[in-house]
Amino acid sequence: MTQSIAVTGALMRRALNEVVRVPGAAVPGVVAPTIFLLGLTAAFGKLTEVRGFGGEDYISFLAPVTLLQCAGFTGAATGVNLARDIEQGWFDRLLVAPTPRVVLLGGVVLSAALRVLLPLGFLLTMGFAFGLNFPGVDGMLLVLILVPAYAVVAACWGASIALRFRTQAAGPLIQSVMFMFILFTASYAPLALLAPWLEAVARVNPVNQVIEGLRSGFVAEVSWHETWPALLTVLGMGLFFGALALRGVRRTGQ
Amino acid sequence: MTAAVVALARRSIRQTFRRPQFIAPILLMPTLFLAVNTGGADSAQTLPGFPDVDGFLDFELAGAMMQASMLAGITGGIALAIDIEMGFIDRLLAAPVPRPAIVLGRLGATGAMGVLLSAWFLALGFVFGASVHAGVAGVLLIAVLVPLAALAFGTVGTALALWAGRASVVQSVFPLVFVVVFMSSAFFPRELLSEPANSIADYNPMSFIAEAVRDPIIGSITATETLKGLLGIAIVGAIGTALSSLALRHRLRAT
Amino acid sequence: MAAIEVDNLQRRFGDEVYAVQGIDLQVDEGEIYAFLGPNGAGKTTTVRMLTTLLRPSGGTARVAGHDVVHEASDVRRAIGVALQEAALDPLMTGRELMRLSAVLHGIRGQESRDRAEDLLERVGLLGAADRRIGTYSGGMRRRLDLGTALVHEPRVLFLDEPTTGLDPVSRASIWDEVRRLNDEGTTVFLTTQYLEEAHQLAERVGIIAGGVMAAEGTPKALKAEVGVPRLEVAIARGDIARAEEVLGRHGELLPTRAGTVQITLPGGAAEVAGIVRALDEAGLPVESLDVVQPTLDDVFVVKTGRSLEGAGEAAPA
Repeated sequence: MTQSIAVTGALMRRALNEVVRVPGAAVPGVVAPTIFLLGLTAAFGKLTEVRGFGGEDYISFLAPVTLLQCAGFTGAATGVNLARDIEQGWFDRLLVAPTPRVVLLGGVVLSAALRVLLPLGFLLTMGFAFGLNFPGVDGMLLVLILVPAYAVVAACWGASIALRFRTQAAGPLIQSVMFMFILFTASYAPLALLAPWLEAVARVNPVNQVIEGLRSGFVAEVSWHETWPALLTVLGMGLFFGALALRGVRRTGQ
Repeated sequence: MTAAVVALARRSIRQTFRRPQFIAPILLMPTLFLAVNTGGADSAQTLPGFPDVDGFLDFELAGAMMQASMLAGITGGIALAIDIEMGFIDRLLAAPVPRPAIVLGRLGATGAMGVLLSAWFLALGFVFGASVHAGVAGVLLIAVLVPLAALAFGTVGTALALWAGRASVVQSVFPLVFVVVFMSSAFFPRELLSEPANSIADYNPMSFIAEAVRDPIIGSITATETLKGLLGIAIVGAIGTALSSLALRHRLRAT
Repeated sequence: MAAIEVDNLQRRFGDEVYAVQGIDLQVDEGEIYAFLGPNGAGKTTTVRMLTTLLRPSGGTARVAGHDVVHEASDVRRAIGVALQEAALDPLMTGRELMRLSAVLHGIRGQESRDRAEDLLERVGLLGAADRRIGTYSGGMRRRLDLGTALVHEPRVLFLDEPTTGLDPVSRASIWDEVRRLNDEGTTVFLTTQYLEEAHQLAERVGIIAGGVMAAEGTPKALKAEVGVPRLEVAIARGDIARAEEVLGRHGELLPTRAGTVQITLPGGAAEVAGIVRALDEAGLPVESLDVVQPTLDDVFVVKTGRSLEGAGEAAPA
């Protein structure tokens, strides 16, 4: 057990190198969700004047979406980095070690939970500066649980694709699926105001539960009624994509 | 010169279309954005001051094309930066290839992408119920404006590549594409944008180009909007070309 | 016990590409075994199967007494691997990579730090240990790669083209290290396309081409199989035909090339003194005289029908 923790910690530390040692490379990933938050608010902010919207300020309505974008971008980047490591032979170095495959995978995907804290912090700082409601202590706690957890979910998805295709060319597939999960929800407006097709998709999209759970603190109060579906969804998606990724790493070399 | 440009353009086009990681951001992301914007902000049509449209998709198509054009321009810059990193540009510079051909050839691929994406989004629009009110003339105007816009943005991508010489640096500019697009009337009417987007959009060439492309879709072709669109393209192209020339001169002196 | 036992090992990619078509080999403990072949012969595919990175399509292989498919974890505990691509993270320092390798092999805490320092010193990288690997030269990267493969004192070391692309000095330093490891008891399985490397290091050589074993044996035995030494004599002045007549009495005459007469020399260098006397008595002064041994390339040509690629780039001794 201690060996597994040591390996996981070492791999997580390695994953942070790109952010710490090549700061310029990290900037787009850190800055992009904030650009979306402020840009979409500037572009679509007047949607709150549509009848039935509910009167919230748009930046607070939109914030959960861009919080999940932080997680989604980070997780997708983790998958793309794994694809690069596989393509360039680095991953073989890990595979020939006697470390169990599940531990190797764990070290890679759990690093996303750490890496997401940087774009998350930047987004919240800028958001609050531009009028984002403070979600309360319980709301912030929910953010600090759900966003890193979703980053791990996204990393598991990215890892499963990376292990399947073994090339960075799979990057767009990783990113676009994450994009759809997050944005094909009640992202821009409440469910009732979406176009019928998007409303139908959002109702079955599990990530919508996560957005509604996160949103509750920013637009109203955190309630258990909206929180438990979000937690369950992230757990379920984590188990599903985690299993896919684990299957991928166990089948490597076949 | 022409032969060199054509040969290099052919190479650039082949390269672009053989790498999914180049095509996907240009077509896939704007398409997904179009879907989300159309589905998510559909109710905006009820806002006072929103133009009279048959559907929100009609309004959004221009924005999608503009976003894609800009991404095509930056992606062309990334490809050029890769050529610089790999030493291919050095090989061209050591050969009797006219210097402008090196840049024009790369822009050839960007122009080709512009044609492809205008066709893509028009087809997508038709499939999902959009219509071009100005008819065939409108379609032709769009088919001219969008590739020209892509070329103009391509000059900016080229300038970035020649200055930076590294693909990762050019790639880091991607988020700025969204800043330019959000601060314009590409996605929402100028009058209904919030500040500071409202004020910035009045001077953003992207607004002029987007409105010129939107004009024939939701209404009729007007000379004013078309000329403003061409002006926007000319401004971007002029800035990009000037910066590219400076950057190329700087690179030639340094190597 | 054999360190490596391979029986009819096969690897197929898709339905049509047979990278390895059924090879048999055995490497004894403490041996240096060179796996020689051109690009695309199946060397790297074989190494990847033996190091558990690739599952065989058929046949069996045991490394350090463990089956590579059913006891893969045990194999990994016993082997060290330095792969052809020498994939190193350019953002890490040499010290960080060495410590990570230690942790991956179950060595933790102070022991991992001590082991890292020892190995960095051993491969001559202590001074550069805190520099990023991205700043290392090719030779430094290979030495670091070799060091990381040794962190857990493996019983069997796999080196996939360890000196490809290195300058002669770096190459020689890698060779010295391989010899030292072998002196300490490590079995070494190395793949190479350099004849000289196989000749210098290996006790036994396996030649692979097109996914099949073409030959196997000690370098000396393989060369003896395909031919005897020959003598090349360049006459300073005089009649070439006369020289051919004289030399033809001492060995089988081979085609004369550019004024150089060649004969086989079954008895080896011991016959040279007599031949020189005979030429002198015949009034044929010698400009140059060379005893040429058969090379592994000659073996390769005989066994496979073509020359080994890069044979002309043979490394210096």
